[in-house]
Amino acid sequence: MNTVAALDEPTGRGGWRVSRGLLTVLSACVALFVASAIFASSSVTKGPLLGMLPYASVLAIVSLGQTLVIQQGGIDLSVPGSVSAVVVICTHEAQNQDSRLWWVVLLALGVSIAAGVLNGVLIGRLGLNAIVATLGTSSLMYTVVFGVSGGIPRSTTPLLAKIASGLTLGIPRSVFFAVGATVLTTVVVKRTAPGRRFEATGANPAAAVTAGLHVYRYRIGAYVWAQLHYWLGGVLLAGILSQPTAFQGNAYLLPSVAAVVLGGTSLLGGRGNLVATALAALFLEQLGQFVLALGVTFAIRTLVEAAALVVGVALYTVDWRAVRARLFPPQQTSSI
Amino acid sequence: MTLTDTHDHLPDEDASPPSRLRMAGISKHFLGVRALVDVSLDVRPGEVHALLGENGAGKSTLMNIASGALLPDAGELWFDGQPVDALTPAAAAELGIATVHQHPAVLPDMTVLENVLVSVPRSSLRSARGRRAAVQAMLDDVGCTAHLEDRVDSLSVAKKHLLELAKALVVRPRLLILDEPTAPLGHESVLLLFERIRRAVQSGASVVYITHRLAEVREIAQRVTVLRDGKFRGEHLVGEVTDDELLALIVGRQLDSTFPPKRAARPEAPLALQVEALSGPGFTDVSFAAEAGEIVGVAGIVGNGQTELLRALTGLAPFTGAVSIGGRAFGPRQLRAHSAYMPADRHADALMMTLGVRENASVTALSHVTDGLFVNRRREIETVRREAQRLAVKTPSLETPVSSLSGGNQQKVVMARALLSRPTVLLADEPTQGVDVGARSEIYKILREVSDSGVPVVVASSDAKELEGLCDRVVVLSRGHKVAELSGEEVSEDAIVGAAIRADARRAADAGRKRSSRLGRFVRGDYAPVAVLAAVILALGAYVNARNHRYLQPYNLNSLMLLAAALGFIAMGQTICLLLGGIDLSVGPLSGVLVVIASFFMTKQDSGARIVLGVVLMVLWAVLIGMLNGSLIRFLRFTPVAATLATFIALQGIAFVFRKVSGGYIARPITNVITHKIGRFPAAFLILVALTVLMELALRRTRWGLALRAVGSQEDAARKVGIRVTRTVLAGYVAASLFVVLGAVMLLAQIGVGDPAQGEGYTLASVTAVVLGGTSLLGGRGTFVGTLLGAVLSVQVLNATTFLELSQTWVYFFQGALVVAAALIYSQVRGRLGRRV
Repeated sequence: MNTVAALDEPTGRGGWRVSRGLLTVLSACVALFVASAIFASSSVTKGPLLGMLPYASVLAIVSLGQTLVIQQGGIDLSVPGSVSAVVVICTHEAQNQDSRLWWVVLLALGVSIAAGVLNGVLIGRLGLNAIVATLGTSSLMYTVVFGVSGGIPRSTTPLLAKIASGLTLGIPRSVFFAVGATVLTTVVVKRTAPGRRFEATGANPAAAVTAGLHVYRYRIGAYVWAQLHYWLGGVLLAGILSQPTAFQGNAYLLPSVAAVVLGGTSLLGGRGNLVATALAALFLEQLGQFVLALGVTFAIRTLVEAAALVVGVALYTVDWRAVRARLFPPQQTSSI
Repeated sequence: MTLTDTHDHLPDEDASPPSRLRMAGISKHFLGVRALVDVSLDVRPGEVHALLGENGAGKSTLMNIASGALLPDAGELWFDGQPVDALTPAAAAELGIATVHQHPAVLPDMTVLENVLVSVPRSSLRSARGRRAAVQAMLDDVGCTAHLEDRVDSLSVAKKHLLELAKALVVRPRLLILDEPTAPLGHESVLLLFERIRRAVQSGASVVYITHRLAEVREIAQRVTVLRDGKFRGEHLVGEVTDDELLALIVGRQLDSTFPPKRAARPEAPLALQVEALSGPGFTDVSFAAEAGEIVGVAGIVGNGQTELLRALTGLAPFTGAVSIGGRAFGPRQLRAHSAYMPADRHADALMMTLGVRENASVTALSHVTDGLFVNRRREIETVRREAQRLAVKTPSLETPVSSLSGGNQQKVVMARALLSRPTVLLADEPTQGVDVGARSEIYKILREVSDSGVPVVVASSDAKELEGLCDRVVVLSRGHKVAELSGEEVSEDAIVGAAIRADARRAADAGRKRSSRLGRFVRGDYAPVAVLAAVILALGAYVNARNHRYLQPYNLNSLMLLAAALGFIAMGQTICLLLGGIDLSVGPLSGVLVVIASFFMTKQDSGARIVLGVVLMVLWAVLIGMLNGSLIRFLRFTPVAATLATFIALQGIAFVFRKVSGGYIARPITNVITHKIGRFPAAFLILVALTVLMELALRRTRWGLALRAVGSQEDAARKVGIRVTRTVLAGYVAASLFVVLGAVMLLAQIGVGDPAQGEGYTLASVTAVVLGGTSLLGGRGTFVGTLLGAVLSVQVLNATTFLELSQTWVYFFQGALVVAAALIYSQVRGRLGRRV
């Protein structure tokens, strides 16, 4: 070992080194797209890709929000209610008029922030369990869904459809939103002082207290910030779908948790692999396309997802060195 | 155990009777640190043998070996003259060795009675008036005023200790080991304790009594062995040795590390830190004043208020009294903002173990290295590196996770963080604990530099030698009171240890002397939610019936009960997982898959044998899934959420593997059996109620139920009292899946067809029902009865909205509001009232 005096790091690139989670997910993505090209080339042609990317973008954005909550040692089960509420507000309240669009998007934003504050106060201030509190909030957001729509689907305004599902430079616009959200969140968490304290608080709340930080602020911040992501995802989803249902958010809860876990962010909190989470969302969606193109059923696709999740978690939780040592004991000890 | 020179140490054949416990040549190393070197101890039958020595002298380690918790590297042990090899805790209990540890191994979420039942063998609890009376008698015997139904969590530290003492005495041990038993006790309890010790000795037991206090040695012990620095220093009869002779044996350790020179005497130095009449939780009326450049030491036997005093000075605990630094008054708020604190437990309280050196060191200094919105990485690295070089932190790089550094370097990282925050005052609790010799000297040097720069430094340490070398002024605490203040030339190990071990300050009598009230116990108990829920259910029913008289008609009640039975069975399974401190997200899709499986065996064409086969397959499948969940959690170390989420997704897929589209109509006779009525009620609902009662009894009365809640309450303590944790968890998840089978049977009648897309909703619905029922998601406390009522209420709310002609909007509103309100009420009752006894 060196003292720090001996090593001379010339540049400031220390914090940008590639994390194990990112490396894992990146190689999984590359492997998946190579496999797609070889075994199911139809899944990597223009049509399926353009169809898949908008959904991958929404999942990526929602999963980023879930990552922030999980970084603080929580979990957010209010995704279904929150995303559904935003979708419904953006479709129903707009009444098919582009002129109302900005107003309804802001209204949805207000509702989302209210949900985040509710979650944050219940969990960060009043000490409720995250599962219980966010479960309740999800139901309350469904109250909004049915209050607004009565459960009847309606399509969005032409303008939002154009913004969300149009192409720029031949790429679905939602991809730009997803990349933008990933970059913004990553920069805020990794580059600003509050973001860095946020990460440290999640890694060890007790230590954050002795370092003079106020833990509840970062917990509340996590839930509000997560809701901003659900809001963005919901707005895009409203524009992407031609006939959204009242339960559009339900499909995003478990995949968002799966994406976080695959991205290598620990469910116990701490450092967040935000870029890896976004890539994991892409991985999950493309995996769906791949097995679909292979002609297998929904059943196989789901099983493959579950297997990917188990392998993904086991990569982090199992002490592989110990397993190797047990399976292939070193020569000296095996002779005893 | 390695045997050394066997025959030389055999007990003397002439001496009769043989020693109760004889230890010879005991050595023990921890990670290269010598904790014990060639130590011997000889405890005669029927004597109280005091074991005396400074903090870290090796007393507790020696007794951990005697009680089987640790294996020595070398040495021999005899019990009643018989050589003992490889002692385990179970074997020690068998021999009649009982230990009361310094930190009680109790299960916080369980009652006093249950804590006793789960760890004391039945044979020790025989009484003519039943086990309850036996337990009550054993508590009365040590003067523990706790009620049998009090939750241990709500007891004072003293009562927890008395409970542990009672558990140790009731087994009538042949050797009783007491590790600083009087530390948390009030005066009367101490007198009673001594009385019980004398009585135990009269009935033939021997006692090893670990202590720091000479007064106690004189009062209770006949013989004393002194350890210093892991070595045997001498054995004497208490009557034949003076206090000064004992003190000389205790102190005088050689220190390898060197100290920086102390502050040069300055006649008119200004006061840097003034503490006046400071009182708070754990310390009372502490005053001292330090001149600029003085390092203040806080000394005392571990756990006498040192840590609490430091936490108050850093603004983390409330206090009364005044603190001023450099002439300015500081309240808790200002202290929190301007002090830097180095806690004693680095891993738990100071370091973000998964983060790197840079991130740990700079977390308090980020505002000093920010340009506009962003942290300037170059400046951050430069700042951290400069500090790390100054403190000579040895690390491969600044990005290395702190978990991979040595103890000394970890402590330097904590120190770097403290200094980078540019503190007004620096408070260090045990700054050199677990730090190697070289790093120690460096830490002393830095503390001196900080002090010289004008920042007041306060160091709490259990190592008097360290304080002698480092500090200009030392405050000695005993039981939270200042018993001595030494400065300048007076600061010496002799003076510090003398003041600490001669102090005879007793704690005030237990504050919580009055017993808990019946109402208080009920409100804090597991059954309060049950009463609340029952009231809500009746009130809601009455209200709906007043608005719509068809509500109470048999048809509606029947369908309500059938729906409640389906949810109820599944929620019972979920309750088991939550009691274990886990969760099972897979119950919903599991119920769906089970229905799909049944749909292949229970159609019109199927014979009776095929139907039985179907049931068997459902059960086997459920057991498999339960084993899978439990194994992922215990063997692959998945969190319960991750494990059961994976199972959830897989089961979704499997349902579609079995059936691509829905099909397989369940035969009418089968659904008729499922919905069969006994009198006015569906049989299934009656079975649910009966099972609930049985499970509730099992949870309270059987070893299985106690084990379940013990594991959920505190895994480590459960292991210590001999519960097999892994087996309990696996069995719990299997049992949960089996309850889902019963739920799936109900769904057979409700869905009537094998539909692969059904069932998922039951995951969150079951969690909702359990939470409404008052079971804690943290594990250890809850009831099956509450879950049953939670399921009934969930179904009832849904049903009521149709009768009140409310829209679906209200269904969701009530569901959300109910869960949040229930969780808030239960947690407030437990949190606020629960701790204030």
